[in-house]
Amino acid sequence: MSDHGQELSASDFTPVSVRPDAHGIARPSQSYWQDAWRRLRRNRRAIASLWIVIFLLAFTLIGPLLWRVDPYAQNLDRISQPPSLAAQTLLVERGVQWEGVTLDDWPTGPAQAWLADPERGELPAPEGLEVVGDPHTLSVRLRWQPVAHAAGYQVYRNTYRPTAINELGLPLGETWAGNDVGYEDQLALTPSTYWYSITATDGLRESEQFVSIPVDVQLATTIESALARGLIPSRDAARAGDYVAMPANPFGTDYLGRDMLARLMYGARTSLFIGIAAPLLFVFFGTVYGAFAGFAGGRTDDFMMRIADFVIALPFLLFMILIRVASGIGPGESGIMPLLLALVVLSWPATARLVRGQILQIREEGYVQAARLLGARDHYLILRHMVPNTLGVILVTLTFAIPTAIFTEAFLSFIGMGVAPPVPSWGSMSNEGLKSMLNSPHELFFPALFISITVLAFNMLGDGLRDALDARMRSRE
Amino acid sequence: MWRYTLRRLIQGVITVWFIATATFAAMHMVPGDPLGSERATTESIRQSLEARYGLDQPVFPDQYLIFLGNMARGDFGISFTQQNRSVNDIILEAFPVSAQLGVLAVLFAALGGVLLGALTALNRNRLPDVIIMFLVILGISIPSFVFAALGQLAVVRLNDWSGQSLLPVAGWGTFQHMLLPALVLGLGTMAFLTRLMRSSMLEVVNTDYVRTARAKGVPPLRVFWRHQLRNAVLPVITVLGPAIAAITTGGFVVELVFAIPGLGRTFVEAVQQLDYTLIMGTTVFYGAFLVLMVILVDLLYGWVDPRVRLGS
Amino acid sequence: MRQKHDHDQDYALTVDNLKVEFDTYGGTVHAVRDVSFGLRRGKTLAIVGESGCGKSVTVQALMGLIPMPPGRITRGSAKLRSAASEATELIGLRERELNRIRGNRIGMIFQDPMTSLNPTMRIGDQIVETLRVHRGMSIREGFREAERLLDRVRISEARERARQYPFEFSGGMLQRVMIAVALACSPEVLIADEPTTALDVTIQAQILDLMQALQREEGMSIILITHDLGVVARMADDVAVMYAGQIVESGSAEAIFHRGGHPYTLGLRRATPSNDPENRQRLEPIEGSPPDLFHPPVGCGYFARCPHAMQVCEGRMPDPFELHHAADTADDVLHSARCWLQHDQAPRTEGVNQNGAGRGAS
Repeated sequence: MSDHGQELSASDFTPVSVRPDAHGIARPSQSYWQDAWRRLRRNRRAIASLWIVIFLLAFTLIGPLLWRVDPYAQNLDRISQPPSLAAQTLLVERGVQWEGVTLDDWPTGPAQAWLADPERGELPAPEGLEVVGDPHTLSVRLRWQPVAHAAGYQVYRNTYRPTAINELGLPLGETWAGNDVGYEDQLALTPSTYWYSITATDGLRESEQFVSIPVDVQLATTIESALARGLIPSRDAARAGDYVAMPANPFGTDYLGRDMLARLMYGARTSLFIGIAAPLLFVFFGTVYGAFAGFAGGRTDDFMMRIADFVIALPFLLFMILIRVASGIGPGESGIMPLLLALVVLSWPATARLVRGQILQIREEGYVQAARLLGARDHYLILRHMVPNTLGVILVTLTFAIPTAIFTEAFLSFIGMGVAPPVPSWGSMSNEGLKSMLNSPHELFFPALFISITVLAFNMLGDGLRDALDARMRSRE
Repeated sequence: MWRYTLRRLIQGVITVWFIATATFAAMHMVPGDPLGSERATTESIRQSLEARYGLDQPVFPDQYLIFLGNMARGDFGISFTQQNRSVNDIILEAFPVSAQLGVLAVLFAALGGVLLGALTALNRNRLPDVIIMFLVILGISIPSFVFAALGQLAVVRLNDWSGQSLLPVAGWGTFQHMLLPALVLGLGTMAFLTRLMRSSMLEVVNTDYVRTARAKGVPPLRVFWRHQLRNAVLPVITVLGPAIAAITTGGFVVELVFAIPGLGRTFVEAVQQLDYTLIMGTTVFYGAFLVLMVILVDLLYGWVDPRVRLGS
Repeated sequence: MRQKHDHDQDYALTVDNLKVEFDTYGGTVHAVRDVSFGLRRGKTLAIVGESGCGKSVTVQALMGLIPMPPGRITRGSAKLRSAASEATELIGLRERELNRIRGNRIGMIFQDPMTSLNPTMRIGDQIVETLRVHRGMSIREGFREAERLLDRVRISEARERARQYPFEFSGGMLQRVMIAVALACSPEVLIADEPTTALDVTIQAQILDLMQALQREEGMSIILITHDLGVVARMADDVAVMYAGQIVESGSAEAIFHRGGHPYTLGLRRATPSNDPENRQRLEPIEGSPPDLFHPPVGCGYFARCPHAMQVCEGRMPDPFELHHAADTADDVLHSARCWLQHDQAPRTEGVNQNGAGRGAS
């Protein structure tokens, strides 16, 4: 193991000349922004977030061009539908009233004698309950066999299979004669499966015997309505009984039957507009303000920063609402511009403080002092040193300001102090969705999901930018 | 320390004055001047308003001075919409509710944030860290009303499943009523504090003085408790002021969703009913409360950090 | 250091074949590569080298202060020997047992006293902490002892000072406090990692004097890490010169200073200012920079910077050559250098190997 080189020859000991910097490292030099971009690209989370942001912008700007559904169009026959793909609607004639089923060879009610008998038994459930014609959302027609001694029938509708009389709930409707054995349901039907149940009554007492059938109701539209909604080009293009393709609702519909996807796209416009425009404005204003204060220094600086301190001390959300009230927006009205204004008025001081601090710090840096000694003018200092060295901080601030602004909009719209219905925004949609959360969770889920993804993406992008632009922070996380 | 306290208090008073002035200005910017007497809903309110606010006098300086005087005496006036009730009464009734909820939420957020943050930092890049930090990102990105809705949904399902009412879904009254809203209210702030505590702790873990402590042969638990946690908590304390503010105003949503008769809901309802005196009173009260909280947190920080306590 | 006539009991601490590596994103850094030395009882050993040569890592490895991961001790042993009892192996000791030794049998002080004390604990509490942990003293008892210790490190008004916080002290005072903390339990070995680098020159002298005085009083052994040959000349009995994670030369301070056998040692000498008016040489910097320890060179680490580099140096690192000096009399410390110039076949080179030094393989 011992290496004392007993076997070495004289030639091993000939001197060699080496450059002292042989171990030196020669890396290609890169500009600050190139280096930052390289670091950002290596951050997988940040790049994924960047793609999400690009997707969201495309969703907002290009989406409505591809998905041409009116976000305000209400389809009361398609309320709170869960997400579904292709849908068809059956065309029907308008207002064809069903005359019902009245049997001529059957008594209208029980005999008096039968009614007078206290020992009389309970009426049996009607038999032969069946659907007449195609059941659809405009009309479901039922008929059944008459029951002896019946004076009328009660019709019940449930969304589940009833197993006991007390599960039937309140009757949907009733007929008033023993020979009246048909019923037409036109009440707020949506395409799904219903359980219809019939009981007979002898005029004094309702029987607890019931019969149930499941009915699959399909979507139907009157020809007039289809024409009005643009589903068919003209009155003659289709006849009753035809099927017409309905726009699918990939994200379901809301409580007024409006298409969620279209509303999410238009809501994104509101949310992202406020979320991006407001930070752009207040970061710009804050930067100019802070840079001016920092550069001016002295009393001007003191005074300007004191104002900023006061504005920071204002309770943020309260004054957001107060400014809205002050601009004369009543409850239930939409105020996008006041919201934007309030965000700008209340949010600029943080940026101003940051930029001022940065400017003060840079002013004391050796390289700026050196440039000054070399006779550099103010505008040169600003353009060459101040701007490039603050740009990174400003960019990071901007990225973090966006999710905060989106949150604020959502928060205010949610408590009804921001964008109000019917204008869609993700916050107001969440507000509406909350009410029907138990029955149709998708109405809350989708807008909330979009808010969360957007905020998440901007936050992670901000993290990535901060790490990429600020080498000192790199080692931390 | 006393001079510092005094200076902070004076600054606080000036800040509250500014908040009051801004509130006054905002209210007088409302089109059709809401404090103009014709908006008052009843004759008695109109008369008392006129007497109290000098509505027949010019807005500036007379009305402004009357307003400041009233505020300084802690008299917020009479409600526009609730007959014969003073704004003070309404605030005094609603504020304790919000305060209880807020204290519980702040405690939950601060303790949870500090402990989770320390835990993640000490297990950096291991499974607990990865899981908790993922949840933290969710906590920061999901709006509080979604948590509120999910929380209610969970309680409904829990009660259904157990067949009894384990937790109330909404309302106010008992400690059980407070639990879920406080949890929801504190969640976002807790996520934020966890993140802050983690990075603060990561900085402390590699400091020279922690190395010194280990070189002294101090056992790990003691190193954690006396050297790491104590110093890592300092930056967390500095943001407690803004955190309390966030939790207080976050109460708006939680109080609405859970039907809690707190100050947040009072304010939202006042805005919906355009009850201007109540809006003004609540704003100034909230503002003063937050300013006080920030001062208290600053003083607390000075008490914990000897450099501030003895340095200034 | 090794003596010519080796007895284990003469050493307070011996280190053999220590290897330390760090895993980083870029790869494995071989920070300490096969380092061996001995600390003579009651003496001061200086480990000298430029920054990044692995001297701090070496002593932190002994103390178990290297964060693992990313750090890892791949080989070696370090034995702490008290005069009376069995030797204790430090490498691979469990945290619990290590904590019985750190601060108790080995004290340590660091480079920057301003950051090495906890800013939120009183000075006295930080001294008491050591006493509580190792001696189980009560706080009252500990505080009295802390005041006595502060007195011993020449801090006046020890009573009041013990109740103050680090930010109320100057850098020099804090280093005295650090020494008090390290000496609280009268350790056998004191490790001082660049104790004066962060202090200004007048304070440096005071701190060094204090350390020497305390060494005389306590009879402890000191490992002094430094890059300042002035400090070495003043303090050290023995010197080990480290370069690129290896000890390239070791011996008595006298031998290293006057009969250096490695070009790097000579380079360091020439780069150090002297206050001897007779000796008015120009200071010569050592050109270039040390090798990247991601990929340590196979041969001599100094090859690229060495003015006497030879063919053999690039591919092979020699084992230490023992150097014998005609002048050697009282000095019984082994002098050795890892340089091919000490080989019999190497050309005579001014200042390195021609001053009548006898050479031989150890």
